[in-house]
Amino acid sequence: MELSFSDVQNILKIIDEAPHLDEIDLVYGGFRLHVVRNGAGSSKPVAITAARDSLADKPTPPAIAPPRAETAAAVEVPAGVVAIRAPMLGTFYRASAPGEKPFVEEGQRVCANDTVCLIEVMKLFNSIRAGVDGKVVKIIAENGGLVEYDQPLIFIAPASQERS
Amino acid sequence: MPAQPLKRVLIANRGEIAVRVIRACRALGLETVAAVSQADRESLPARLATRSVCIGPSPARESYLRPELLITAAKGTGCDAVHPGYGFLSERAAFARLCAQAGVTFIGPSPEAIEAMGDKLAAVELAAAVGVPRVPGSGRIAALSDAHAFSVRHGFPLLIKASAGGGGRGMRIVKRQADLARALDLAATEAQGVFGDPSLYLEKFIEHARHVEIQVLGDSHGNLVHLGERDCSTQRRHQKLIEEAASPAVDAGLREALAEAAIRLARQVNYQGAGTVEFIVDDDTRRWYFLEMNTRIQVEHPVTEMVAGRDIVVEQLRVAAGAALSFTQSDVKRVGHAIECRINAEDPARCFLPSPGTLRVWKPPQLAGVRIDTHCYAGYVVPPFYDSLLAKVIVHAETRALAIDNMLTALGAFEVAGVPTTIPFHRDVLRHDDFRFARVTTRWVEEKFLAAAAAGPLLGRCRATSERGHEFIGRSGGLGCYRDRGRRDG
Repeated sequence: MELSFSDVQNILKIIDEAPHLDEIDLVYGGFRLHVVRNGAGSSKPVAITAARDSLADKPTPPAIAPPRAETAAAVEVPAGVVAIRAPMLGTFYRASAPGEKPFVEEGQRVCANDTVCLIEVMKLFNSIRAGVDGKVVKIIAENGGLVEYDQPLIFIAPASQERS
Repeated sequence: MPAQPLKRVLIANRGEIAVRVIRACRALGLETVAAVSQADRESLPARLATRSVCIGPSPARESYLRPELLITAAKGTGCDAVHPGYGFLSERAAFARLCAQAGVTFIGPSPEAIEAMGDKLAAVELAAAVGVPRVPGSGRIAALSDAHAFSVRHGFPLLIKASAGGGGRGMRIVKRQADLARALDLAATEAQGVFGDPSLYLEKFIEHARHVEIQVLGDSHGNLVHLGERDCSTQRRHQKLIEEAASPAVDAGLREALAEAAIRLARQVNYQGAGTVEFIVDDDTRRWYFLEMNTRIQVEHPVTEMVAGRDIVVEQLRVAAGAALSFTQSDVKRVGHAIECRINAEDPARCFLPSPGTLRVWKPPQLAGVRIDTHCYAGYVVPPFYDSLLAKVIVHAETRALAIDNMLTALGAFEVAGVPTTIPFHRDVLRHDDFRFARVTTRWVEEKFLAAAAAGPLLGRCRATSERGHEFIGRSGGLGCYRDRGRRDG
């Protein structure tokens, strides 16, 4: 079981709404969430530092991506497949840590709730779920590369269409 | 020689200033990456840049206002510098710091300089400490009794200002003693809500004020120069509409005094890059006071570029790369007069209601001595998410009178259809004797021009109300004209 970005947001919301809570340190598997409230009465009372210890030695993303005429989001989605799109700009990772097994491989079956990749934005790792039951047809984004907002990452052939 | 030559610059902004910065980068042979929101994917900056990268959804708070996305985009696309433009993250010290931590050059002053000028009360106190006069004003107001004491000494009307405000935001005029307590309460709540800091201070209200500002440029070699003044007195609700250089209200003696004060203040914070020190000149007493310093490029920088013949954005890029400014103070010569009109997608007949939509026709004038800074083109869809600036029309001529005439010609030749713009408003202002004879002070547009126009055809449906400005009295009724826009700039 993984914590998703929205799980973290919900935890922060709960903490934010607790009036007498100033600091929390949550360890959950390999995940650590450390939240400190910055002075009472401020409109932005929560400072977030989240780190995934197992990813401390992650590979650095390639420094320069080649210039492109088009944005990556313009990739064409073939008929009969669903694209999992990047919900945020960030660095795309196929595995939870370097050397670990990728979350998914092409040809693998996935359930809607399965984590298929991570997107990192300044040390904050966001688990991306399949969102649909089906089979991984193609992994488009490059491991360790920058993905843009709304860019297709992975193509899935939905199970619902296989049956029909 | 540049200490760390730049190769690739992330443009952390949109609209005309993104285009302006890309052009300056090109002039220096630098590559550019346009960081764009979803709404701006097909925008002119996205097409002009070496590449573009979509950083997030259309609302600015989910894209252009997210430091972590911009820094991730900069690193991920191999940029070694970030140009913040104006508005958005340009005056966030925390963003400048994050850039430094990420090993990316922030094109602007140090985080410490941004911070020193960011708190407006701290800035006027710093100015006063180095002998640059501030408008007679208070310290932080801790209790109602402080405010009473101040009002007894200076009388009414007075101005309540938010320490965290600036650029015309977070201000409130109080005309009577009876209104003071309630106005302070409202202002504190507003300041807390908008800026996250309820601190307030008071200033004597200057009835007839000219807004005069000095453009400064500094480098890492200790050079600090000024390019003279701009006059931005033609404002509506503290938002500048027409700017000019030179100021018709400033003589050689005053120019020298303001410039000297600006340099002194900039030196105090070891200023690097382009900055603007803003002053208020009291039209009745001819006294002048420090208002605030903007630690970024300003919208109206082109009028200075035209008269001084210098490219301010190119100098920003040079200085950020560690090079010295390309000229010294004695090289600065100012020639002629320049005027800028901000063409906004706003309907002057409906209380300047922001009016997004498709530009069916867009034909800017092509005339000698006319410069157009814009990101618009025919067919462009003006998105509803950002500020309404479409273009800046800048004219440069031998004299102020000629510049006014040429601006009228240029605006008359500017063909736009599809969205209403402020062009008709500008033409009416430029034709007004008060503008031609330089009698415009900062409240003239609201108190005189619009008040008189309320009886006429152009602005017939607007009328002056409180200090909040003008109320839209639409036929449909109930449609308010006050709209708080995401990005404002001085």
